Amino acid sequence: MSNDQVSRTPAAVPPPPATRPAAEPGTPPADVAPAGRKRSSRRQPRLPLRARLRRDWPLLVMVAPGALLLLVFHYLPVLGNVVAFQDYNPYLGDSSLEALFQSPFIGLENFDALFSDPAFWDALWNTLTITAFQLVFFFPLPIALAIVLHSILSTRLRMFVQTVVYLPHFFSWVLVVTFFVQMLGGAGLLAQELREAGLTPPEIMTNPDTFIVLVTAEVVWKDVGWGTIVFLAALSTIDPNLYEASAVDGAGRWRRLWHITLPGLRPVIVLLLILRLGDALSVGFEQFMLQRDAVGRQAAEVLDTFVYHHSIITGDYGFGAAAGLFKAVVGLILILAANKFAHALGERGVYSKQ
Amino acid sequence: MTTPTGAATNRRTFLSLLGLGAAAVAGGGLLTGCSEKSAGGGATQNLDRLAGLLPEQRALTLDIPKPDIVGTRPVPDGYSRFPANLFDAITDKPGTSGQQISAMMPAWGPAPPSGANNAYLTAVNAELGTPIDFSVQDGNTYAEKLGALLGARDVPDLLCVPGWEINKLPRFADAVGALFEDLTPYLQGGAVGAYPMLATFPTGAWRHACWNERLMAIPNPTDGPFPWMLFHRRDLLTQLGLAAPKTIDELFEIGRQVTDPAKGVWAFDDIFPMVQMFHKVPGSKEGWRLKSDGTPEFKYETAEYRQAVEFMAKVYQAGLVHPDIVASKGADAKQLLQSGKILFKQDGTGMWQPMQAEQQKVTPGFDIQPVPLFSATGGDPLAWGNDEPISYTFIKKGLGKDRVEELLRVVNWCSAPFGTKEFDLREYGVEGVHHTRSADGPAKTELGFKEIQNQYFFVSGRSPVIQPTPQTPNFVQDLLTYSNTTVRHLEKDPWEGLKFEMPAKYKAAAVPTEDKITDIVRGRRPISDLDAVVSEWRAGGGDEAREMLGTALSDGK
Repeated sequence: MSNDQVSRTPAAVPPPPATRPAAEPGTPPADVAPAGRKRSSRRQPRLPLRARLRRDWPLLVMVAPGALLLLVFHYLPVLGNVVAFQDYNPYLGDSSLEALFQSPFIGLENFDALFSDPAFWDALWNTLTITAFQLVFFFPLPIALAIVLHSILSTRLRMFVQTVVYLPHFFSWVLVVTFFVQMLGGAGLLAQELREAGLTPPEIMTNPDTFIVLVTAEVVWKDVGWGTIVFLAALSTIDPNLYEASAVDGAGRWRRLWHITLPGLRPVIVLLLILRLGDALSVGFEQFMLQRDAVGRQAAEVLDTFVYHHSIITGDYGFGAAAGLFKAVVGLILILAANKFAHALGERGVYSKQ
Repeated sequence: MTTPTGAATNRRTFLSLLGLGAAAVAGGGLLTGCSEKSAGGGATQNLDRLAGLLPEQRALTLDIPKPDIVGTRPVPDGYSRFPANLFDAITDKPGTSGQQISAMMPAWGPAPPSGANNAYLTAVNAELGTPIDFSVQDGNTYAEKLGALLGARDVPDLLCVPGWEINKLPRFADAVGALFEDLTPYLQGGAVGAYPMLATFPTGAWRHACWNERLMAIPNPTDGPFPWMLFHRRDLLTQLGLAAPKTIDELFEIGRQVTDPAKGVWAFDDIFPMVQMFHKVPGSKEGWRLKSDGTPEFKYETAEYRQAVEFMAKVYQAGLVHPDIVASKGADAKQLLQSGKILFKQDGTGMWQPMQAEQQKVTPGFDIQPVPLFSATGGDPLAWGNDEPISYTFIKKGLGKDRVEELLRVVNWCSAPFGTKEFDLREYGVEGVHHTRSADGPAKTELGFKEIQNQYFFVSGRSPVIQPTPQTPNFVQDLLTYSNTTVRHLEKDPWEGLKFEMPAKYKAAAVPTEDKITDIVRGRRPISDLDAVVSEWRAGGGDEAREMLGTALSDGK
């Protein structure tokens, strides 16, 4: 029951009736409009379209640049995925387009080569492990931090803390890794302090077994502050009256957190979780390239570095495109599955079916 | 070109069975058949047979004084003092159309200002008549940029391709054929006479500029054959009462003595290639040599390489490499050497003079010198090296005869040798702005260091000499002493005069194998694993390359 309520709520709220005639002066009353439009579109398809255009053209103009960018930079390049089924040679013919058309088709051979390469499965396994680890140890942290930040009453203090925790997001990976090396590396601050105390510094930066903790720590340092932004916005939409009412009823701090704050954040948490799952096979590139020699391929090879070394470096673009398609398919499946799961929980997810 | 085979036909059936018709639709009518993925078997080009394509070498008629320190070829000669008079070698403006020339070249460190913000470019462009607009790219990732540019078939009028990047560029010969102008008709034989500066280049350099049996590029002849030197901080070693090591054991011992983590000092950066050279590991064509029975052998398979791996593993085990360098590829090893946090660093010759000139202003007594080459295992040492050009300048295909000739005249102007006014402007910029002049020659100013980053040098060439600099008066003598001693031990390349496009499988195996060896060197895998790694490498493309190199020699005879 409650599920239905939640999913219906947005649709059930009608726009304020008073504004509607004002926005659409020429249209008939709202309740007859859909039926009338449908009937006329069957008989005279052009007129209503023109009418709609006349009414909606400012919206269309506003959406056009975005749609154009999407078309040029997302949908057109998608056609290039055809090289996954080709022995693609960019230097055939007189132009890039001719090269695309003249490269011979080789069916699923690129996928065959991909799936029979043990290095690919190693990379996939590493990627999935890192994703799972970060889902547990990174994903909840911005939520916790956002709740803490939200509870700071002094605006000035909150702004200061926010600025400090946002800042690392804008550092490049080279800087982040260098920062960790300078703090935790063998010549870094920690090691020097330990040596002065007569201790042997541990190997933090070069231990393949704990590498997953290290990369997660780096991600946390870089992005935990940035990750709070969405949650802070969601927190600000929770009605303060709810807190007051529950406080009056005798709910303590933790009960309020459990019964008001977290349920209020739930749609956003689920949405971000779904988006993260769609990205499950991307865990970063530069971070792993920089530290590859320090811990070895076994620990640091993820799908993106695998594609770089086996496709970009060797010029085997078809092979790389095959790996990319594989990634996209896995991502799509994960998104659909997670979304279905969200619906089952009564959340809206990324899209809803209505 | 693409002949369908039996297996491919089966695959096509397989494809349609799976309902992947989408791929076929995208291919349109051109989907005449699925063929096998080409094996990428590699190609050999015998440069000796191309003698007919090459330009004639002609000396300039100018009276430029002779160099006073003689180098043993391929080491160039050097000048210990600056000539008093400079010659005006080219009187006509090379650019006639005024139509801007686009060019791309690498630079290391902070990028110089571009366009009109750069007084150096403005001054040289004014002399050229037709301005060059440079796209300056990070030298450390230049191969990636080149790969993308070539793959997209979007090249500038003049493109610099450094010699060391070519092997990283897949299907490079195909790319050259598809994208760049064939320069044979413009430069072959006596035709080069129209470009007298280009005519001074050594014939050996031109020979390397041939692809697909045509002359395709302008070479930038090398000014030093050695890829690596092991530099050390002589000033700091002297303070500790030490001298440059002469044996491999001394290298290790000195490394251990100078390493003091409490002071934040370690001995080395990653010196593995130099350690290989000390152990006389082969280096021709990136690591090949001939066994006594005449079959090719790669460095991984040699006893020398195993010794080098053992030594380097010992160095890592003892903790003599700076932890910053161990932990991240982003570490700045040059900075560590300058600040005395490491005392040894391997680098190219090009690091020496600029670092000495810059750093001696900051650190009084700063002195970097190469460690004289020695053999770890007795007998004469072995120096890797070759006389291949530093870089090649390619001209975009299809610009038309007039434009190509204009571009060649511009490149010719930029290629004027040491002792000419053109060279002086190109190298040192404008007097009073980019350099100050004394009897010892021009000394670059701050602005000079900032604005002049070899822009024109990387789209041209010059008959190479080692030129003097007032800030580092001993440099020419020091470099040529080292070079003339070392060049006696230069490895002989059994495939001299042959140019290879190595098999794709062999190229693809390079990074995975190096990864495994890095694991061994850094102690993550035992040294006994090396045999297994090498046999994996053999099966994964090594034997294919061996066969190709072997056949190339038997065909040549």
